[in-house]
Amino acid sequence: MTVEEQAPDKTNNNKTSYSQLEMMVIASSRLLEDEERVLVGTGLPLVGAGLAKKTHAKDMVVIMEAVAFDSNPQSLPFCVADARAVYKTRWVPTAAEVMGHFLQGGKIDVGYLGGAQVDQYGNLNSTCIGDYYSPTKRFEGSGGASDIAALAKKTIIIMAHEKKRFVETVDYITSTGWKCRSFDGKSLVYRWELGLDGGPYAVVSTMGVMKFDANTHKMYVDYYYADLGVTLGEIINATEFDIDTSRAKPMEPPTLLELELLRTKVDPEGIYMKY
Amino acid sequence: MSGSNKKILLEQVADYVKDGDRVWTGGWTVVRKPMAMVYEVIKKRKKNLHLVGNPGGPETDLLIGAGCVIKTETNYIGHEVFGHPYNFRRKMEDEKHQGELFHDDWTVATGALRIMAGAMNIPFIPTRSLKGSDIINPSLDGFKALRGSDDKVPKKKVVLMEDPFWEGDTVALIPALKPDVCLIHAQEVGDDGTVSITGGAFLDYYAAVASDITIVSAERIVPREALELTAESNVIPGEVVNAVLEVPNGAHPTALHRFYDNDPWWFKEYLEASKDEQRMEEWLEKWVYSMDHFSDYLEKIGFKRLQKLRANSVYGYNPDIKRRLDKLGGVT
Repeated sequence: MTVEEQAPDKTNNNKTSYSQLEMMVIASSRLLEDEERVLVGTGLPLVGAGLAKKTHAKDMVVIMEAVAFDSNPQSLPFCVADARAVYKTRWVPTAAEVMGHFLQGGKIDVGYLGGAQVDQYGNLNSTCIGDYYSPTKRFEGSGGASDIAALAKKTIIIMAHEKKRFVETVDYITSTGWKCRSFDGKSLVYRWELGLDGGPYAVVSTMGVMKFDANTHKMYVDYYYADLGVTLGEIINATEFDIDTSRAKPMEPPTLLELELLRTKVDPEGIYMKY
Repeated sequence: MSGSNKKILLEQVADYVKDGDRVWTGGWTVVRKPMAMVYEVIKKRKKNLHLVGNPGGPETDLLIGAGCVIKTETNYIGHEVFGHPYNFRRKMEDEKHQGELFHDDWTVATGALRIMAGAMNIPFIPTRSLKGSDIINPSLDGFKALRGSDDKVPKKKVVLMEDPFWEGDTVALIPALKPDVCLIHAQEVGDDGTVSITGGAFLDYYAAVASDITIVSAERIVPREALELTAESNVIPGEVVNAVLEVPNGAHPTALHRFYDNDPWWFKEYLEASKDEQRMEEWLEKWVYSMDHFSDYLEKIGFKRLQKLRANSVYGYNPDIKRRLDKLGGVT
């Protein structure tokens, strides 16, 4: 579905080919705002945050759970403990301060996360597929994602759009969405009933940008990547749960500047973008 | 020289680690892990270790793959974007390995709070995190079978409680982490045990205070007087350090700020081997069991390759190193 294989349309001199992965990273970076304190997870969020810092959010405060407060990396960090995150950083705290004090203290505006599975309420799974005690696939585990989803003022989730990922019920709730696990483990309850603030703000995928209805707190399609040929029917087919597409608008394609910065400055080696 | 008797050799490290011990490995995923000491623990075939380092990286997957581990209690086990922890995965996924590894899932915030509580010598600490997550789902507790019978495991994972002092919010009480042994690699350690770390101390200060025994390897041992001149990067006082040893490149293949970067060639070979049990065994023979000394290991890695990993002194990392394994060339 990428348009990379297609010949660029030479009659439209502003038109350049780009991939769904690039659109996903660019669309998510556009949701970050200047001067916000953003707690950035490992993987694609590091790329999206790097791009936002170079475009519309120069004074955004990038925070990494392991080691960095207000990080301004000159080279893409490999993980949230990388020396690249430490070079040109205002403060080198530990996870006790970042997570125990700032996140738990309600001082993080945005959590920016990836995940393996998401459901219609924005619950995220990064723990396992199948039964917890004998999983068919075991992942690395929460890291800080569970804490960030519980305690940031809002979260932005970034992940590939596939039916096995956008599921009716996640196999394990690592990170809480709008309707999450009750204390006895037996049912789903709204997060505010547990005393949790915040909640997922958007899920940015390889097909579009999803948000959550203010009343039902279920996911709906806010934008879709029409310029890349993505249709609403394709989004419905790649989503296991019923998803409302009645409010969907076409996404503004990447600007040449966004693409150039992404490809040449933010992740030139293609560590996450896999060029 | 009050502290000079703290110096030990790498060959002595395993004497401090008993079978069944709770072990904290310092650093963070693929950064500043005590790899030389971990290789030594593997070589001495330690058994039934209970790993509590938060988070775990290649050292955790290696110890699991070498059959040294029965319990893991952490928020993450992996190699970041290099690839997946196949030894850990195999233990969790394969039917024939069922019951060989008990894994208890936690989070970064709670890992930090639990080791802080351990350092403070308080039995538990409240947190606002975890609510609504399956991490505290009573029917999904990886240590369920051990609680109440294994005295290295807390009797409960979590207790939910209404705050009795202020607004009455529900908080989760979580148990302190109390490691038996803490292994840390640092840039420099004083002969008295004072630890100097740059590029992020992570949770190692708390772990050193919380643990019964703390062993610190470093790129170099220096006189305590030298570290008194750079006090701002001293993160752990010698009082909580039992033994020190000098092991240049002791965190290889993980990265060490100002000294060396991650070794992508190591990760490529390891990840390939760890996908398969037989090849993992061959890898251990080639890189661990057959090595008489760590210097043999470094010689096998090769001087040229170690030079390629050297950090730039201004940046603290190596700006030229390639980090994408599928396009990685040879050491040229």
